[in-house]
Amino acid sequence: MTTLSQIAMPTTRQKSRSRKLRDFFQSLFSHAAINFIGLFFLIPFLWMIMTAFKSNQDVFHTPPRWLPYDNVRVEVNGEQLPLYDVKTENGVKQLAAVKIVEGVGTFVDPVNPGEEMQYEIQEGAVKIAEPVMHVSFNWKNFPDAMERGSRPGIGASFWVYFKNSLVIAFFSIVGTLLSNAPVAYAFARLKFFGRDLLFIIILATMMLPFQVTMIPIYLFFNDTLGWGDTFLPLIIPTFFANAYDVFLLRQFFRTIPEEMCDAARVDGASEWQIFTRIVLPLSTPVLATVTVFTFLWAWNDFTGPLLFLTSPRNFTMALGLQDFQSQRSMIWNQLMAASVVFTVPIIIAYFFAQKTFIQGIKLTGSKE
Amino acid sequence: MDELRTSNWRWTWPPKLPKWGLRDRTNFKIGMLFLLPWTIGFLVFTLYPMVTSFVYSFNIYHAKEPLEWVGLKNYATLLTDDLFWQSLYNTLYMVAIGVPLTLLVSFFCAVLLNLKVRGQSIYRVIYFLPSIVPTVASTILWLWILNPQTGILNTLLGYIGVEGPNWMSNPGWSKPGLILLGMWGMGGTIVIYLSGLQDVPTALLEAAELDGANWWQRLWNITVPMVSPITLFNLITGVIAQFQYFAQAYVFRGTHDLGYPLNSTLFYSVYLYQNGFLWLKMGYASAMAWVLFIIILICTILLLKVSERFTYYAG
Repeated sequence: MTTLSQIAMPTTRQKSRSRKLRDFFQSLFSHAAINFIGLFFLIPFLWMIMTAFKSNQDVFHTPPRWLPYDNVRVEVNGEQLPLYDVKTENGVKQLAAVKIVEGVGTFVDPVNPGEEMQYEIQEGAVKIAEPVMHVSFNWKNFPDAMERGSRPGIGASFWVYFKNSLVIAFFSIVGTLLSNAPVAYAFARLKFFGRDLLFIIILATMMLPFQVTMIPIYLFFNDTLGWGDTFLPLIIPTFFANAYDVFLLRQFFRTIPEEMCDAARVDGASEWQIFTRIVLPLSTPVLATVTVFTFLWAWNDFTGPLLFLTSPRNFTMALGLQDFQSQRSMIWNQLMAASVVFTVPIIIAYFFAQKTFIQGIKLTGSKE
Repeated sequence: MDELRTSNWRWTWPPKLPKWGLRDRTNFKIGMLFLLPWTIGFLVFTLYPMVTSFVYSFNIYHAKEPLEWVGLKNYATLLTDDLFWQSLYNTLYMVAIGVPLTLLVSFFCAVLLNLKVRGQSIYRVIYFLPSIVPTVASTILWLWILNPQTGILNTLLGYIGVEGPNWMSNPGWSKPGLILLGMWGMGGTIVIYLSGLQDVPTALLEAAELDGANWWQRLWNITVPMVSPITLFNLITGVIAQFQYFAQAYVFRGTHDLGYPLNSTLFYSVYLYQNGFLWLKMGYASAMAWVLFIIILICTILLLKVSERFTYYAG
């Protein structure tokens, strides 16, 4: 026995050493990869948030910096003045700029504000006066972005767009919940002639691209019903069920024990009573999923609002943001601030309903 | 899909109708009442528009002017329309390069996120979060990131000595830029792959490891076949979505005309929108829509047929 263990021991030890080495490199590689790819997802996200806090000059600073910087301001005679590093005859001094006109700045010494000095900001390639910068989060970008409209002087602000998006999302959720649940119940639990054929048809409609029905639907709402430039064309269709939610709900309803429904049937309950009193109360998780995904879809939707909403006071966040962005002057910090406000409701929804989110993606197989 | 197989309805000719008793009739009525929201929706928002757009596609139709029957002329014009072919090329570029690339990378990400790494749940949140940023917001963000002068991507590339391209104004780089944007938001696909990876039996992987299979062999011979139905699903939904690619391209042109630069982002659905709603050639746009539908159908059927040999269904 001793000989056997003596023979066996070294090999196992060797094997375990080489395996340890391999495991070490594998773990090193996987850590490197997960972090590197993680940066690809994280950096743009942080960049959006950081840009939203930057001042107008800082946005275009080259090379770009991570943190938002702003000019240091000092109080001189009750006024907040920007502080500059100025190359004077007596070396570099920190002076406060009173005004800068056509490249010539009027400065005062904050310690001794009596006397005004004038320096050119730039002499040839040499910067004479440079603003003193410090890290400062420009919170004002958010109210500035939200109180403006997508174009100057259109009388509608991003707050209006935000409210419009909320209204459309709210009624879409109501419509989706009301219309899809009974349809899904019929497909899950009722037995009647033609059910399976109809279910095949409803699945087949998933294959139909929106582009095929887009033009007639547009003409129907816009010309036939005269609902152009209202929220109705975006809300009303949600009251008539859709294949994805019917499928999602049906899959869940089928997991509810049939015996419970049968027991109620024996007691003389109607199908409607079984549906509203037994099935629906047991289905809160899937109803939550449908709610979250309808919100996500309505909040995100761009094509629908683009087709139907024409006047700025009816714009949604998506449409307003695109309109803002299509203007000649790119105000990136405000664009990013509005984007952050646009994204925040979804992030909040995600952190409150993380499980619901992930479950929904697994069930439907997509986010839209 | 086995729902369809176990369905008790059979295509037979002549169709065999069951004998209807009182019970059947009541059940049918109740069923139809429950289905009412969908039935109305289907007739008004699917069937009627399908029929009308099919009719439009054989007409010249400027909204509000009467239809003018031209037979197959719209379809014939498509064949000689350079912009149509350009938009089809752009779309096929995204379908053939963007979709497989995104699938490959998201599978790799899912494998990474499935490893036992400290802070695994935080990594999962980080990988997933970009996918819930609204499309318009993420597209504008990427316009800012891809900005050739002040964008962060070209700055970072500059640090490692690579001169970044003019992402938005160079027609050769606009589509790769859009693919990057798409990959940033692929969290949903990663989640689906991740749930598939968690269903791969660990017993199988352990047995293979005991037999001396290395990490790559286990991945290639066990994990990849086990998640192949998910790959097929992601592939089909990805291809269908890519054929309808619209919002990102609409926003990505920035302040320029649709398709900027040089029609390189004029995708099929963008060109269709341009025809139908900007040029009000609604008959022509309808013909485009039906061609799109047929292309999508053919692609889906082709993928399903081809995949039969490559997809493994456990159980």
